[in-house]
Amino acid sequence: MGIVVTGVGIVTALGVGLDKNLTSIKQGVSGISLSPQILGTSHTLPVGELPVTNEELHALAAIPASEHLSRTALLGILAVREALLDAGVDSSKRIGLVSSTSVGGMDLTEHFFEHFIADDSKGRLRDVRMHDCAASTEAIRRHCGINSYSTTISTACSSAANAVIMGAKLLKHNVVDCVVVGGSDALSAFTLNGFKSLMILDNEPCRPFDSSRAGLNLGEGAGYIVLQREEEAEEYYCHLAGYSNRNDAHHQTASSATGDGAYLAMSEALQMAGLAPSDVSYINAHGTGTGNNDASESAAFVRLFGDNIPLFSSTKAFTGHTLAAAGGVEAVLSVLAINRGILYPNLNFKSPIEEYGLQPLCHYKEGESVECVMTNSFGFGGNCSSLIFTR
Amino acid sequence: MRCYIDRVTTNSDVVTDIKQLIPDAGMRRRMSRVIKMAVTTAVETLGGVENIAPLDAIITATGWGCLADSERFLRNVIVEREQLLNPTPFIQSTFNTVGGQIALLGHNHCYNVTYVNRSHSFEDALLDAMMRTTDGENRNILLGAFDEQTPSQHRIMERMGLYRCQNDGEGAVFAKVTAERTEQSIAQVTAIEFLTNSLTEEQCRERYTTDEKCAVLYNNYTKYGLYPTSSAQSFAQAVKMVCEGSTEVVIYNEYFGATPTLIKVQCIG
Repeated sequence: MGIVVTGVGIVTALGVGLDKNLTSIKQGVSGISLSPQILGTSHTLPVGELPVTNEELHALAAIPASEHLSRTALLGILAVREALLDAGVDSSKRIGLVSSTSVGGMDLTEHFFEHFIADDSKGRLRDVRMHDCAASTEAIRRHCGINSYSTTISTACSSAANAVIMGAKLLKHNVVDCVVVGGSDALSAFTLNGFKSLMILDNEPCRPFDSSRAGLNLGEGAGYIVLQREEEAEEYYCHLAGYSNRNDAHHQTASSATGDGAYLAMSEALQMAGLAPSDVSYINAHGTGTGNNDASESAAFVRLFGDNIPLFSSTKAFTGHTLAAAGGVEAVLSVLAINRGILYPNLNFKSPIEEYGLQPLCHYKEGESVECVMTNSFGFGGNCSSLIFTR
Repeated sequence: MRCYIDRVTTNSDVVTDIKQLIPDAGMRRRMSRVIKMAVTTAVETLGGVENIAPLDAIITATGWGCLADSERFLRNVIVEREQLLNPTPFIQSTFNTVGGQIALLGHNHCYNVTYVNRSHSFEDALLDAMMRTTDGENRNILLGAFDEQTPSQHRIMERMGLYRCQNDGEGAVFAKVTAERTEQSIAQVTAIEFLTNSLTEEQCRERYTTDEKCAVLYNNYTKYGLYPTSSAQSFAQAVKMVCEGSTEVVIYNEYFGATPTLIKVQCIG
């Protein structure tokens, strides 16, 4: 049974909706700003922040501010609505949702906790009601017409890719007729400080795969795709032909120098799709811009593809690293790569990592023949997932 | 869909010394209470760290995740005004920490995922396990659920009025799940359903049991306390009932108005 993609929805620092995102990328305009404007933090660090406040997001989503939704839920609602509208799914079908997040409602919990730690009878309870990951999924369900099975996945930065995998399973087992899959994560002081404490944030705009790369920029956003069984879809963007989730089993936060998890995930996804490495037209890399990730991912590319490394780039210099949403955001971009023949540039690249000499794509192209796209998402806990989309 | 159960362990069943279950002293030292509770339960279920490597899927479930570490890091961010923070609680606050630590402990490169879906986290993980065994994709799966209480979480839920009718709780449950019946099989799971409507205990009995000898655990999770994955304790109880002679146990859970779920555990016959 074939699984096809019938709708896409995306919100990133580049804007709300597919058109804004693709236009910015085409014009080479990054969503990374030099310091956060909305997020409350004392740090001056580049971030991919959507310049829209929570109040404005409630208004954009036509949800009363009194509902007091977390930013993660609001970003998710906007992207899921776009994806479902795009797919034009009949509401009599069983529409499921597999959403993912790593911070959940942390943006609100942070407000609560400031008051709570001084006096445990203080802090508004409505600021902590959305703390858990599933709260954003529930809000999306309620506001987007999800009428069937839904779940939430959290495997750090590979979360949304694993949501895509679970969605495909639900279709194969006829649990749902149609499923929206992806992830949403808002910027939070919690994650910004977390990555800062690990010393993997760049003080400048990130430079994935560049020899001078010095860390990642955090981003926020949501990316979802709609999956259906091929025989039930009238029109579709492309096929979800393969997927794999493997573990690096090397370290809680760092990737192995040999890229074991990445290599296994990419190989298994290709095998499932019945494709050879040489069939891959383009890779949307995980490419965070940290010394460790980009070296490990490069090692895995060389192991799998040898001297014939396909065209590849990281789009994180446009959006920042959107954590649990990254696999969803990049799935949307990968689907459009096939559908419109777009090849995305890897911004801020000057010179290759000496050890591997790999040169990412640096110029935007459109109308190319893109038959097969691989997209990678790796995360803490050794989680490595790869998805393969084909025409 | 169907899968077999080799063994089920709850955190209170763990008898082996933690130094044997988590031999790496450094890992043991860095682990928070919930990570230790979950990982020791997992390794006890498998009968030793050497049995992690042969697994072909590790599927975990948690409603709250590693709360104490999340709270510790958040508190430090606020109190230390975002300066000179220790990254360890941040690293270990991620929801997939337990799954990742089990993989790391056994150098296991297999499928590894974490469901974080309130009172359905365990049921979603079980559904994934059953789909994977049915597809023939995986044959030996470690399935588990865990949640921890913290004083802050307790205080917040108390302020929300949630403990008026029910006690608090926490715990970990792990099961070794196989695609085929093995010499170790002690029970089989023959159904998992996410229902659209609530059922009474009578309706559960009428619709889902085959004879009067079948047991129904109706909202029995409440006996394990108010926490998202308490239904996994009902599952462990059902497997133990089957081991002790019940032919079939139907578990119905409806947690705070969430979609009701139904799991059927049967003897292997």
